[in-house]
Amino acid sequence: MNVYVDILFWIRQKKWLLIALVYGISLHFWVTPPADLNPAAYDALIIISMALILIITEPLPLPAIAIFMLFMQVVLGIDTANNVASYFMNDAVFFIMGSLMLAVAIVSQGLDKRLALGIIKLTGHKTWRIVAGFTAISAILASFIGEHTVAAMMMPVGLTLVRYANKDPRKVAGLTAALLFSIAYGATIGSIGTPSGGGRNVIMMNYWTEFGVGTVSYLEWMKYIYPMVLFQIPFTVMILLWTFKPEQDNLDTAVRKLVVEVARAGKVKAREWMAIVLFALVFFGWVFLSEDYGLGIIALVGVFLYLAFGLVEWSELNRKTNWGVILLFGAAISIGIQMNETGAAQWIANMIISNLSRVIDSPTVLQGSVSVLLTGVMSNILSSSATVAVVGPIVLDLGGDQILIGFATAIASAFGYFTAVAAPACTIIYSSGLVKSKDFLRAGWKMAVLSVLSLLGLALFWWPVLR
Amino acid sequence: MKFLLAISSSKYSGPTLRAGAMIAQAFDAELNVVYVGAKLKGLQEGPLDLSRENLAKWNIYHPGIEVLKWAFQELKEICPANDELKSAEFNPEHIKEDQNRYKLILPTTKGCKVQLTLREGELIQELRDELQLDDYALTIIGGSQGKRHMAHDLIQYLPSSIFVARGLDLKKKYKLLLLVDDSEATKRSVTFGAEIAKTEHWEVRTLTVSKTKRFGRGYSGAAKKAKAALEKRDIPVEQFFLTGDPVTTFVDFSGDDHIIIMGASTANPLKKLFFGSKPIKTLERSTVPILIVK
Repeated sequence: MNVYVDILFWIRQKKWLLIALVYGISLHFWVTPPADLNPAAYDALIIISMALILIITEPLPLPAIAIFMLFMQVVLGIDTANNVASYFMNDAVFFIMGSLMLAVAIVSQGLDKRLALGIIKLTGHKTWRIVAGFTAISAILASFIGEHTVAAMMMPVGLTLVRYANKDPRKVAGLTAALLFSIAYGATIGSIGTPSGGGRNVIMMNYWTEFGVGTVSYLEWMKYIYPMVLFQIPFTVMILLWTFKPEQDNLDTAVRKLVVEVARAGKVKAREWMAIVLFALVFFGWVFLSEDYGLGIIALVGVFLYLAFGLVEWSELNRKTNWGVILLFGAAISIGIQMNETGAAQWIANMIISNLSRVIDSPTVLQGSVSVLLTGVMSNILSSSATVAVVGPIVLDLGGDQILIGFATAIASAFGYFTAVAAPACTIIYSSGLVKSKDFLRAGWKMAVLSVLSLLGLALFWWPVLR
Repeated sequence: MKFLLAISSSKYSGPTLRAGAMIAQAFDAELNVVYVGAKLKGLQEGPLDLSRENLAKWNIYHPGIEVLKWAFQELKEICPANDELKSAEFNPEHIKEDQNRYKLILPTTKGCKVQLTLREGELIQELRDELQLDDYALTIIGGSQGKRHMAHDLIQYLPSSIFVARGLDLKKKYKLLLLVDDSEATKRSVTFGAEIAKTEHWEVRTLTVSKTKRFGRGYSGAAKKAKAALEKRDIPVEQFFLTGDPVTTFVDFSGDDHIIIMGASTANPLKKLFFGSKPIKTLERSTVPILIVK
């Protein structure tokens, strides 16, 4: 009898796997593909839609989903094993791997205490100034070292301030939310600023190269997008203070306690300086050498240097790096490239254009609104990087200026303000248990309006100057 | 003997924790208090782990540890006999990661042996995984399982007896209501009930329900045996024989001052999934604490 219970329980836990399998098998064997879609493209779409079901519902661990995407490309005859393997590992995956390891190396140095002291010196004790400082520092740092690194470093500072402001954070819910969201939204709006701000930016750059669209340098990316980061910072501060209304205007006592705690760390140590210098080298490598060597390779050089100088142990990197995510992005990019190679992306793009052109006359407006809407919505369900990996090939086939469409897509992938799953920084603050899902909605819609207007302003007034 | 007690929060789990500790003391059983927190999606795990490790350096610990800390403080009050526990301090650094969970073993003495465990994920899956790590006789859980199918999932998939402390008020004087029929599980539920009744000095009633006016040999025999077993342990018992739909009768009779004890159904799991069973339906419909013995 227990065997039957075990089988029923397995079915209960794996129902989405079974649904995905039934869906995929039915489409492959019993449904005739559309006449204008070749069989390989049809199979690529089946794999990607099955993978989406599995990623969203997670009946399997992520690495298993990644492996599924890889072997299915060969099993269904979309491509050879060697080609699938070559698409799986590329500079974008190197970058994701390198940046995850760099995050571990940087966070383990304990630089967060220096950062806390620096911010407090800059902002003083007034709550609004601290919220502004948190937002600005998170945005600017995240644009270079990635939002998850910044959120991991800033969270203890934010939570410690909250704890010193009141022993029960629920009694200062407004202050808590304002401080934590200033970290999360600050890091999110900053993550679009440079290619190294997030894996999704590099995935888009990789697609441009793979699809023969062209290349964009680190500085060029900044030139196109950084104004939007700077523009959004003050408005984000206003939105947060307006939405959450902190209970205390002045955090005098909390700041003093924080300074005492941080001061225990003593003077900046040699290894901390070394960590900063090494990251500066990586940054200069990204700015000046990435066109020749690739962003991913430079990130890996950085990891090598951190290991060589003994600033981080391999065991620590190995333990704290999420290898499953690296596998997943490798697999998602490989299927993304197959979507382009087989014509599946073009087919979806054509379908979108032919259906929506009846509603929207202007091709530019149509291309822009589809890429932004599709990416923005999917980011809130899936995650920003996974969205770009999946949606990227489709939006690049919508027509128009593929570089600008790519920029718009990468920017829109950071519009994940509504849920905790969209951006790593949002997940990190949500996991504290001190902010609720409805807080994301309360502030999120205002942030979405701000970001869409900012992107529109950028596309209408700034990009024409540069093109 | 080992019991598992699932708590959800300091706000709602107080009575469950107290009842669980009381029952564990009655059986001199070891108690594993488990808090199952939400698990975020795999895509977010990496950054989240990094953030949590960094937070720990600032003495800000894993979410859920505050619930274990609350449970620890409560247990110190509930188990005054445990001197070692009384003098112990809660230290999050003593919580060790082990087999996909976080575990804190507290000082143990006879009568109140406690372990605290933190798990993350889906409730039924996590409780089932925890139960499979050791030989647990009973799972104690609070009564806020509002989700559809929860009654079925608890009874069907947890491989131990289950006590659902729904609406439990420890200041109230409860009577134990033993539901007696000719099933194998009735014997075990009588033994279980007798143990609790003896320790807590609660009144015991047995209820046998037949769909027809005639009570077969099996039913009357089982009722006789139950009475004999209870009286052998000097527990006075009042017996009731009613006719009607069993589940409706159980629910109506139990009112709001009984704790129901009944045996689990031995029907085919597939049948239980589609058509339910008496314990599943009783758990769905009743508002009083209920113990289902497997």
